[in-house]
Amino acid sequence: MKVGAGDTAIELRNVAWTAGGRRLLHVEQLRIAAGERVAIVGANGAGKSTLLRLLAGFTLPASGDIEVLGRRLPLCGAALRGLRTDVGQVLQGLHLVQRLTALDNVLIGALGRIGGWRGWARWHTADDIAEAMAALERVGLAAHAAARVDRLSGGERQKVAIARLLMQRPRLILADEPTAALDPRAAEEICKLLAAAAQGATLVAVVHNPALLPRLAERVIGIREGCIAFDLPLPHVGPEDLAALYRNATEAMAPVVVPELADSCLLGEY
Amino acid sequence: MTNAGAAAPRGRHATGRLGFLVLALAYALLIALALGSLVADDELSLGRNPLANLAKTAAEFARPSFLDVWFGEPRLEYRSDDGSLLRVEDRRAVEAGYLRQLAHATWITFVIGTLGSLLGALLALPLGLLTARNLGAPRPLALAAKATLDTCRAIHTLVFGLVLVGIVGLGPTAGILAIALHSMGSYGKLFAEAVETLDMQAVDAVRAVGAGPAQVFFNAVWPAVLPQFVSQHLYLWEYNIRDSTVLGLIGAGGLGLLITEATALFQWGRLATLLIVVVLLVSAFDALSRRIRAALL
Repeated sequence: MKVGAGDTAIELRNVAWTAGGRRLLHVEQLRIAAGERVAIVGANGAGKSTLLRLLAGFTLPASGDIEVLGRRLPLCGAALRGLRTDVGQVLQGLHLVQRLTALDNVLIGALGRIGGWRGWARWHTADDIAEAMAALERVGLAAHAAARVDRLSGGERQKVAIARLLMQRPRLILADEPTAALDPRAAEEICKLLAAAAQGATLVAVVHNPALLPRLAERVIGIREGCIAFDLPLPHVGPEDLAALYRNATEAMAPVVVPELADSCLLGEY
Repeated sequence: MTNAGAAAPRGRHATGRLGFLVLALAYALLIALALGSLVADDELSLGRNPLANLAKTAAEFARPSFLDVWFGEPRLEYRSDDGSLLRVEDRRAVEAGYLRQLAHATWITFVIGTLGSLLGALLALPLGLLTARNLGAPRPLALAAKATLDTCRAIHTLVFGLVLVGIVGLGPTAGILAIALHSMGSYGKLFAEAVETLDMQAVDAVRAVGAGPAQVFFNAVWPAVLPQFVSQHLYLWEYNIRDSTVLGLIGAGGLGLLITEATALFQWGRLATLLIVVVLLVSAFDALSRRIRAALL
């Protein structure tokens, strides 16, 4: 599974994403090499989350080519599931099954590898459980393994999500504001854990707080009004670059009704 | 306030308030009409001497028949007008026998409510899933399922019972089917709501690790929906046990049959015993189901 340094993890060419007849995202050319750590910055509504959703196959572009981990999108059925097995996602909190325990949520990370009845009976092998416990140990939540996720704090939930990521062993990690709604200390801790989890994988993270950039990225991509404004190595990103992203943000943020996930229908093809 | 942009919401606000006033007036008018029509027909009366009747009934209710098992007359003599002994009755034995009959009837009532609930839940499950909007069932099918559920909910259990007694004959079967058909409507609606309030983020989270449809269902949908289904089942089950206590009125058996008998023979003491049993049965089940539901949440 180990990829060479020169390999391409993500490649986008002329990708456009539209909603309600408006083009909300347009990426002419973007290449992210395997093993790179990339931060995406930009104002609310600039198209950062959409970009991540495109990469995980949760939404489809209106036009253009997307290649993720050597696979050409769009995919469907087993091929799409195969891609998602290799793509770990950390989303803005709450993307856990609230009624299950922390341990059960971590085990969900392995579903892509577990076939057959074990996957849906939630009857896991001792090896899987041991691995999940080790993942919880790494994020410092082993004591809460049996606690239901909806009883945990926001920071602890995000740690569970990272433990799930460890369990999943993805080659590409997409993190959408992993520290949203967390206090600075918890945010710092989550970033540290996320960076550690991303060892040997490619990491693409949407980051709002510039202070966290050094923790998560060596390359920064700025998105403004759906287009790439800059794409620089971290040391070359100045405060004025970041400020430019948010300038006129109030005007640019005309209320845009972003449609729900195209596949919010449970039984639909996804 | 003067520009066009603000006018629209303000206008809507005003009509909202006016609309509420109109509705309130219409409601007051409806109540006046309802009372007025009763007064006009001279039907709004409490009978000739309600207070005396109340006292008499209360006195009879105050001595539930089951007390006779211990305090009844062991040798109650029935004599004719000329004083000759007609027969002797042991009140204690009679009431003890009645209690045994009552125990069986209570069990039958419980059985009717329980089996009716289960049947109703099973019948409602596919229909509820069809009507849940986020599952995206074909529209004609969804509408047909919704119409079926609404119809079932609109028709009272007793009405279903009356019809079913004519089809399957007197007995608990008619009661079970009546309860199943009526509660199916409520079950379907509650099931659909449980599925509609599903946490789609959890579904996406499981989907995001590459899980297949069956894995998504059992790891995200099932854990969220099952406790709700069980809790709703317990709630309606309890409701149905209450409902089945009156089903005997139409010959479906159980406690209702004894209630009909007692009221027809003006045996208020026995009716008091029956009502005590009904209250105990329903509140015991209520306490139990509340505990289970609290544990599930």
